[in-house]
Amino acid sequence: MVDYYTCTGCSCLCDDIEVELDGENVKIVKTACRRGSNIFLEYKENRAEPIIDGKKVEFEEAIKKGQELMENSENFAIYGMDTIPVEAQKIAIEIAESKEAYIDNSSTYCLGDLVEMVLKNELPTATFEDVKDYAYVIFYWGVDPHNSLPRHMSRYTYYPRGKKRQRGYEEDRYLVVADVRKSHTAMLVAKNARFIQVDDDLKLVDAFIKVIDKQMPEKYADDAVRVIREMQKADFNVIMGGLGLRYGLKGNYEKFKEMMNKMNEVAKVYFIPAGCHANMRGFNETLFEKTGFINKYSFKDKESSLDYAFFELLKNDKVDTALVIGSDPVNSLPFEVSKKLAKINTIVVDPRNSFTAKIAKVVIPSAISGVEQGGTMIRSDGVRVKVNGLFEREINDVYVLERLKEVIA
Amino acid sequence: MMRFTKFLKIEVEVVVARNALIPDNKSSKEYLENAAVAFLQEEFAKANGFKENDVIRITSRGKSVNLKVKISDAAPKKGILIPNGIYASYLTNFDGFKRFNADIELVDEEITRPEDILEELKG
Repeated sequence: MVDYYTCTGCSCLCDDIEVELDGENVKIVKTACRRGSNIFLEYKENRAEPIIDGKKVEFEEAIKKGQELMENSENFAIYGMDTIPVEAQKIAIEIAESKEAYIDNSSTYCLGDLVEMVLKNELPTATFEDVKDYAYVIFYWGVDPHNSLPRHMSRYTYYPRGKKRQRGYEEDRYLVVADVRKSHTAMLVAKNARFIQVDDDLKLVDAFIKVIDKQMPEKYADDAVRVIREMQKADFNVIMGGLGLRYGLKGNYEKFKEMMNKMNEVAKVYFIPAGCHANMRGFNETLFEKTGFINKYSFKDKESSLDYAFFELLKNDKVDTALVIGSDPVNSLPFEVSKKLAKINTIVVDPRNSFTAKIAKVVIPSAISGVEQGGTMIRSDGVRVKVNGLFEREINDVYVLERLKEVIA
Repeated sequence: MMRFTKFLKIEVEVVVARNALIPDNKSSKEYLENAAVAFLQEEFAKANGFKENDVIRITSRGKSVNLKVKISDAAPKKGILIPNGIYASYLTNFDGFKRFNADIELVDEEITRPEDILEELKG
C-alpha cells in the first residue's frame, strides 16, 4: 500500500506524490515536478529561526513579542495566507475581525478579479476532472503552465485521456495558446493547435465578439474564426486565464464577460483561473464565505476596497503593524512598497528564511504545508483537497496563529 | 579586445514571467543561477552584441539590476524575459507588472544579489 502526498508548490495541488524516507530524510520523490520535488527534498534547507530585531531568540520569546506588537497595534493588517491551510486562514480571519484589522492576500494583484467573477457565478466554470474527461478546445490565455503550473497539462488538461477524450491529445484536443511571446507552452503548438501572439488582449476579446456577431474585427480575425469554429465542434471547451490575461484586460472585465456570454451562445465554453499559489483561492473562498468579499477587506469598515489592498495601505502609511504569513511580499511587491515593510512592525510567520523574514522585526518559524502540516486547500478550479503532511509538527500555522490570537480574543 | 557593445544602451520591452527552474529555497545556489537571469533570443542577442553569460545592466525608473544573459527561444523577439521575483519587483510597479520598458547595456560587473536589494530596502 503506497501513501500518496500532496505537493503545495502551486495551485495544481497534485495529490499523487510518492516519497521515500530514511528516518526524517527525504530520499526519493516520485511523480512531482522539479519544483515540487525540491519542496520535499530540500525541506530542511533555509529554515526560519525565531528572531527579534535581527537576533536569534527562543521560540516563546518570538511569540510573546509578536503578541505584544499585535496587542499594541492601532492599525493592524494581516497579509498572505496563500500557502497555509484553510484551517489556519480561518484563524487569521478571526484575528483580523477581533482587531478590526485589514486583511488581504496576493490575489489582489494576482488572479483575484478572475476568481471573484467565478465565485459570483459571472463566468461558467468547471473542474479539472471535467476538463480531462470532456474538454476539446483547451485555451491557455496569458499563462505559461509549462513554467508556472508544471503538471497542469499532463495531469489535468491536455495530455491525459478522459472519458470522452480517448484518442489522445493529437486527435481529441485542440490547444490554443495566447501570449505576448512564444512561451514554452506556445512551443507545444503543432498539430490541432493554434498560437495567437497577442499584443493587445482587449482586441482579441473584441475579435471573438465581432466574429460571433458576423462583423469584421480590427485584428485577430483569422484566429478568432478558427478558434470559434473548433469550439463549435464540441460540447465542452475551456479557457484557462492567467496573469497575462488579468493585466491585459486592464480592468475591462465586462467586455470579457460579454465575450464569454457570446461564446456560450454558439458553443459551450467554461473558464478556470490559472494561478500559482497553492491556496490563494482557499483564502478567497474562506473570506468570501465570511464577508461576501474575496480580498482587500477592512473589518473596521466592513467593506472591500482598493484602499485596503495591502500594498496601498503600506504606500499610504496606514498600518503600524503587519502580520505576514504564508507569503513573501518582498519577493513579489514593488520595491517602494516593500521598503515600507522594513519601517513598520512586521511579524513574519514562515517555515523558510524568506526575503521578508530578513527585514522583519519578529520572525516566528512554522511548518511547510504538505511536508510538516496537513489541512484543507482549494485548487485553482475550486476543488477542496485534503492535504496530508509527510510529518506532523506541533508547531505549525494553526498553532502559531492560535498562540498569537491569545492576546486578541 | 574592447567590445563595441560596451558603449551601447538600448531600450527594450521586458516581459516578466515565471521560471519553473527557480526553487523554493531562495538561499540556494540554484536559486541565484535561475533567478538572476535575463533571457534573450539568439538573433536579438547577436544583433546587439550580447552573448550567453554576459552580465547586462537593466535600468528602469532610475533603478538598475545586473543579470546574466541566457539565450532562450521563449524570450520575446525584440526584448528580454526576466523571471517573477525580487529583481522584477525592484525594477517595476503595478503599472508594468508583466511588461515594462527598460534600458539594457553590457557591463563588466557582478550580478546583483538579493542581499544587495535587501540592504537597500533596510535603508
